[in-house]
Amino acid sequence: MRKGFLVLVAILVLGLALAPCGWTAQKTIKIGINAPITGDIPKVGEGSKYAAEMWLEDINAAGGLEVGGVKYNVEVVVEDNESKPESAAKAATKLITEDEVLAIVGPQASSQAIPAGEMANNYGTPMISPWSTNPDTTKDRPFVFRGCFLDPFQGPVVANFIKEEFGFTKAAVLYDVASDYPKGLAEVFKEAWEKNNGPGSVVAFESFTTKDADFSSQLTNIINSGAQVLFTPQYYNEVALIVQQAHELGWKNPIVGSDSWGSAETVKLCGEDCYGLFFSTHYASAGATGATKAFIERYNKKYGYVPDDVGALTWDALRIVQAAIEGTGGLSGDLKKDREKVKDALAGIKEFAGITGKMTFTPDGDPIKCAVIVRISDKGEFEFFKSVCP
Amino acid sequence: MVEKNGASSIDTPKRFVRLRQFLGDIPLLAWLFGGLISVLVETQVGDALASLLGLPKVPVLFGCVLALKHPLLLPGALAYVSVIYIATIVLVGKITARPFNLLAEKMIQWPIVIPVAIHLITLYAIMHVWSDISLYRELTLKLTLIAIMLTLSLNIINGYMGEFSCSHPGFMSLGAYGASAIMVLFFVNDRLFGKALLPEALGPFFFPIALILGGVAAALGALLIAIPSFKTRGDYLAIISLAFMFIVKSLFENLQFMGGARGIKGQPDLANLPTVFIWLVICVWVINNFVRSTMGKALNAVRDDEMAAEAMTVNTRRTKMVAFLFAAFWAGVAGGLFAHTVRFINPNTFGVQRLAEVLAMVYFGGLNSVYGSIVGAVSLNLLSEMLRPLALFKWIIIPLLLILIMIYRPTGLVAFKEFDVRKLIQPKHKSEKEV
Repeated sequence: MRKGFLVLVAILVLGLALAPCGWTAQKTIKIGINAPITGDIPKVGEGSKYAAEMWLEDINAAGGLEVGGVKYNVEVVVEDNESKPESAAKAATKLITEDEVLAIVGPQASSQAIPAGEMANNYGTPMISPWSTNPDTTKDRPFVFRGCFLDPFQGPVVANFIKEEFGFTKAAVLYDVASDYPKGLAEVFKEAWEKNNGPGSVVAFESFTTKDADFSSQLTNIINSGAQVLFTPQYYNEVALIVQQAHELGWKNPIVGSDSWGSAETVKLCGEDCYGLFFSTHYASAGATGATKAFIERYNKKYGYVPDDVGALTWDALRIVQAAIEGTGGLSGDLKKDREKVKDALAGIKEFAGITGKMTFTPDGDPIKCAVIVRISDKGEFEFFKSVCP
Repeated sequence: MVEKNGASSIDTPKRFVRLRQFLGDIPLLAWLFGGLISVLVETQVGDALASLLGLPKVPVLFGCVLALKHPLLLPGALAYVSVIYIATIVLVGKITARPFNLLAEKMIQWPIVIPVAIHLITLYAIMHVWSDISLYRELTLKLTLIAIMLTLSLNIINGYMGEFSCSHPGFMSLGAYGASAIMVLFFVNDRLFGKALLPEALGPFFFPIALILGGVAAALGALLIAIPSFKTRGDYLAIISLAFMFIVKSLFENLQFMGGARGIKGQPDLANLPTVFIWLVICVWVINNFVRSTMGKALNAVRDDEMAAEAMTVNTRRTKMVAFLFAAFWAGVAGGLFAHTVRFINPNTFGVQRLAEVLAMVYFGGLNSVYGSIVGAVSLNLLSEMLRPLALFKWIIIPLLLILIMIYRPTGLVAFKEFDVRKLIQPKHKSEKEV
């Protein structure tokens, strides 16, 4: 026993002698990523992580981040929130108090972004959620921002687009009542549609519950209602089922979706049934130009697939944080003051040219930016069709 | 007792016997005092020691997170933990063992309330000082304490009553929604319920009432499920209670005035550490008394053989009903505290995943035991925080651990052990003779 103890002590001492190098080096800026690496939506977490890795590569290639004439090392701390609300709150608190990050990017989904935003706002740390569409995330929280447009903007965009493009007057909606995002968007769409076409013009407003796989009764109602178009703001796995089942039941009219369609999986699961359909989203990957194209190609080359909107939005969020940090004109080293400065710089950002469009933040921390209408081409690519600005 | 050390005690029993002899004469209060000193030492010299050892910061959860992220820092973290915690606690405990033993001897003659209060105050002081160092520690600690309440309440049904109930997340959500709705309605200007009806300053006084009402709501829910389901046993009860959980979840998904799928946010920040701690103490005290009362023994009789219990004049139906409602009540209170700690709830929070977590804590810690619930909740919660840097591998390690526990200790780590407060706080001179 004694011998083992001595060996242990020897190892400890040796380890201690070696360890301290590397900690006293250059000044470092830390950026936290609060992402669902495990849990229900790991693909979203992966997209966020990859975007952050690419961003860090760029920064390192430039030799660090220059703020007010001083070069800083940048470290990205990725924390897993298991796609659970309480875990997201813990991850945010850990990033703020333990890792002492200057700003946080993420969480992505609203049910995690709301509690995490609470912590970030309480402890005075700027946070951008790239993907959360729930108004509660940023409401009354000066330190919390988001990187995407809100549902109250997206709903009317889709409603107006259908009106202008097809001239239809009767629409049907099919949505998941148990999931926060589809439900909110379905209601906003209904309101906007009825404003355009008069009350009662949404002829079928059908719902189902998460993980349902058979939509035939709802779809039959929709077909019988005489609707000219179906709007379904669902996620990729449900989109495939809904579209295929609708076609089997004899639905010939267009089906329109929202930004939740914008995953590479949609076309993979849905196949030819989805070709020619439209949805509104943050950016179009096929036919992109400039910085957007460069980003997509680089991502595709590095990770082997075309990034979906989460990746692109996370990338933009990181770039906005970078711009804000650079815009502070110099950091004091006092974390509390620096975070305050970054927050002010974020709020003051005007016309930031991101790969998902230009953005300016409202006082609530929500961006004013354009939506894109995408058509799924006959090759299954997401083709730019039209851009709608507020 | 020797079995506690498992396999290693077979090879080298002497070492552990000697260790136990060495530590055996330290009474609980001396341990707590040692803990208090060690956390006080940490606040004073923690930063200095950490930088001396080359650590970037005071290790937050016993150095585990740090060591996993930067394996090179493992020796530093180990040294930190052994100096600050292990060495200090053992040293102080050993030195003060004699005076505290004398004190314990005196205290055992006083009314039980006084020594218990002294112990609890010391315990709280440790937690307070420890969590003061970092907000992350505080949040983790609060959620762990809430998890203990939840585990304990499920243990009444699954351990003491011997039924397999799956409806605990349902009860928890009833409590969480009940308490949140009351607090948000009365004290918060909110999108959902409009303007606050009462001044915010009254919030802290209403908070306990809201928690109790949340608990009552959960108990009423339990009554709804108890009436039809107690005609069945075993698997059927499990299925019915599982169905109940889903019913509650979709109820809240469809209740628009309660926020629907979007949930409720902005609960007032009232669940601070002392509040959670006091509720936990009340919960442990009440549940411990319950399971050691005649009712608790009747419950055990029902578990072992319902027919025989009935024949021995135990009113089985009433016993089961009371236990079920009682457990649901505490789950509801825990849910209310949870909602006010995270300050956001949505129906998805109380789904199958939560059920799996709670069940794991109960079965990991040990059935039919208050100790077991505490051990299970604390170890699984801390473990899942400490292994956070491993991301996906965490979900391989923890289930693996559970499987191993189920193989080697099928009823959990500390099952069927009575939580006797008197025994805990008594002086420890004589224990040497036992060994």
